[in-house]
Amino acid sequence: MTTNSTMDIPAHVPQDRVVDFDYLRPTGIDEDLHLAWKRAQDSLPDIFWTPRNGGHWVATRAQDIKAIQLDHQRFSHKRLLIQGPEGHEGSVLTMDPPRHGLYRMLISPAFSPKAIAALEPIVRQTAVTLIEELRPRGECEFVGDFAKVLPVEVFLGLVDLPLEDREFLLPFAEKIARPRNPQDYGEGQAGLTQYISQVLTARAQQPGGDLLSKIVTAKIDGEPIAFEAAVALSRTVLAGGLDTVASILGFVARFLALNPGHRRQLIDDPSLVGNAVEELIRRHGIANTARVLTQDTEFKGVRLRAGEQILIPNNLYGLDERQVDDPLVVDFTRAHPDRHSAAFGNGPHRCPGSFLAKSEITVFLQEWLARIPDFDIKPGTTPRMASGHVNATHELHLAWDTDSR
Amino acid sequence: MPKITFIEDGGAEHAVEATVGESVMHAAMDNLVPGISAECGGYANCATCHVYVDQAWADRLPAPEEVEEVMIEAAFDVRPTSRLSCQIQVTEATDGLIVNLPASQTGA
Ligand code: HEM
Ligand code: FES
Repeated sequence: MTTNSTMDIPAHVPQDRVVDFDYLRPTGIDEDLHLAWKRAQDSLPDIFWTPRNGGHWVATRAQDIKAIQLDHQRFSHKRLLIQGPEGHEGSVLTMDPPRHGLYRMLISPAFSPKAIAALEPIVRQTAVTLIEELRPRGECEFVGDFAKVLPVEVFLGLVDLPLEDREFLLPFAEKIARPRNPQDYGEGQAGLTQYISQVLTARAQQPGGDLLSKIVTAKIDGEPIAFEAAVALSRTVLAGGLDTVASILGFVARFLALNPGHRRQLIDDPSLVGNAVEELIRRHGIANTARVLTQDTEFKGVRLRAGEQILIPNNLYGLDERQVDDPLVVDFTRAHPDRHSAAFGNGPHRCPGSFLAKSEITVFLQEWLARIPDFDIKPGTTPRMASGHVNATHELHLAWDTDSR
Repeated sequence: MPKITFIEDGGAEHAVEATVGESVMHAAMDNLVPGISAECGGYANCATCHVYVDQAWADRLPAPEEVEEVMIEAAFDVRPTSRLSCQIQVTEATDGLIVNLPASQTGA
C-alpha cells in the first residue's frame, strides 16, 4: 500500500481508534469489492480515524450510519466528498435544511412513482434496443456498451432533449462513471455544466413543461432562481443518475453472471423481480459520502471536532449482521430487503431518483434475461471494480452463446 | 390516545391508536396498515404515503404547506381531499380521524 497523503494524528483521537485505512483501496477489493468492505466492517472499530486521504473518521455500522444521515445539525452535507470542496447554492447534495428544501421541492415531483411509470416505456425501449444490438455479438463490455448508456438516454427522455445529444454527453458520462484519475471526474462535471448551461439558456427563453424549464423559471424564496444555481441543480440531477446506475447495473450483471441459479429463479418466476431488485440493491450498495462536523461534539463515546469529516459508507448498512440476518446471502424471497438498506440514503437528502433507478434495474433484468438468459464472465478476463465516492464497476466483459435463445 | 381509521380501497378497515406528535404515516407504519410504503421516510419527497382524508375532516386539519402541495400533484389519482399522511400530525384534535387509502397503493 502506498500512502497518498498522511498527516499527524490529532491529539483528541484515542490511539485505539487509529487505523491505517484507505477508502479508495480497501484490502481485497480486486477480488470482490463488497467483501473487502465487509471485512473492514468485521475487523475494525465501529468508528475509527484514518490518517489517509487528508485524515478523516469512518463509521461502519448501520445504526451509526443512519443516525449520522439524520443529524444534519451536527453532520453537515456542505463537504460531501472526502477532501472535496464546499458545495455551492443549488447543488442540493451539498446544502443543509432548511435552504436545501427550497431546491429539493423543485425536483422531487419529477421523480414520483407516477412520473416514473410514465417514463418507463422510454426506459424499456432504450434497454431493448441496446440489448438487441448486443445479442448477436455474443459478447460485450457491459459497462461501456450498456450500463453507462442507459441512464444517459433515460435522462434525455426525462427532460425532453433529442436523443442525438447522447453523442455529446457519453464521453463526459464515461469520465464520471469510470474516472481513471482524479482529473477525469472534474472534467466530466465541467462537460455536463457546459451542456446544461446551453440547454437552460434555451429553456429560459422558451420554457416547456419539462423539469429543466421548471428549474430555470423557478422562484426561490420569492426571487427568480440564480442562473448558476439552476445549472448546479440541473447538473446534480443529471450526474446523480449516471455513475450510480451504471455501477449498480455492473454489480448486478456480475452477480448474475456468477450465479446461474439466481438467473434461473428469475426466469422461472418473473413475479420475484420486484423484490430481487430491492435485494440486489441492499447487497450491492455504492455511495461513500461524508459529512463535515459543524461543531465539537461527542458521538458514541468518541470526541469529534468541528471541521473534521466522517465517511459513512452506506453500502455497509445492508451488509451489517446487526441489522440484517445472513447479510452476504442474496435471497430474492427475503422479506422487505429495502428496510435493511441505506443505499439511497436517509432523511431529507434521500435519493429522489430511487424509483427511476429501480425501474432501470427492473427493466434490465426483465429484458436482458428474456434475450440473453445464460451468460458468463468472458473467459480470460477479470472484472475490474474501484472504490471511490461511488463504488464502481470499471470493466466487465460478458460472453454468451449466440444461439442460446 | 387519538384513534385513526384507515380504510382500504376494497373496504377493509384498520382502526389504530396513534400517539400525539407522530405523523399519520408513522401511525400506519407502526401498525402495519397496508398501502403506505413511505419510501422517503416522511419528508414529503416521494408521495407513497398518499391518502384521501374523509370529507368531514378535510377542513378540520391544518392546510398543507407548499412542499406537500407540490408533491401531492405528483401522486396517482389526486382528489380534492388528497394529503400526504407524513405531513399530518396526530394531535388530541385528530381523535377519530378517518382516511381512505388509494387503490394505486393498496393494489400494489
Ligand atoms: C441505484 C442508483 C442510485 C443510488 C444507489 C443513489 C444513491 C443516492 C444517495 C445515497 C443519495 C444521498 C446522498 C447521501 O445522503 O449521501 C442520493 C441523492 C441524490 N440522487 Fe441518487 N442514487 C441512485 C440513482 C439516482 C438517479 C437515477 C437519479 C436521477 C436521475 C438520482 C438523483 C439524485 C439526486 C438529485 C440526489 C440529491 C438529492 C438531495 O441532495 O436532496 N439518483 N442518491
Ligand atoms: S413518506 Fe414520502 S412523501 Fe410522505
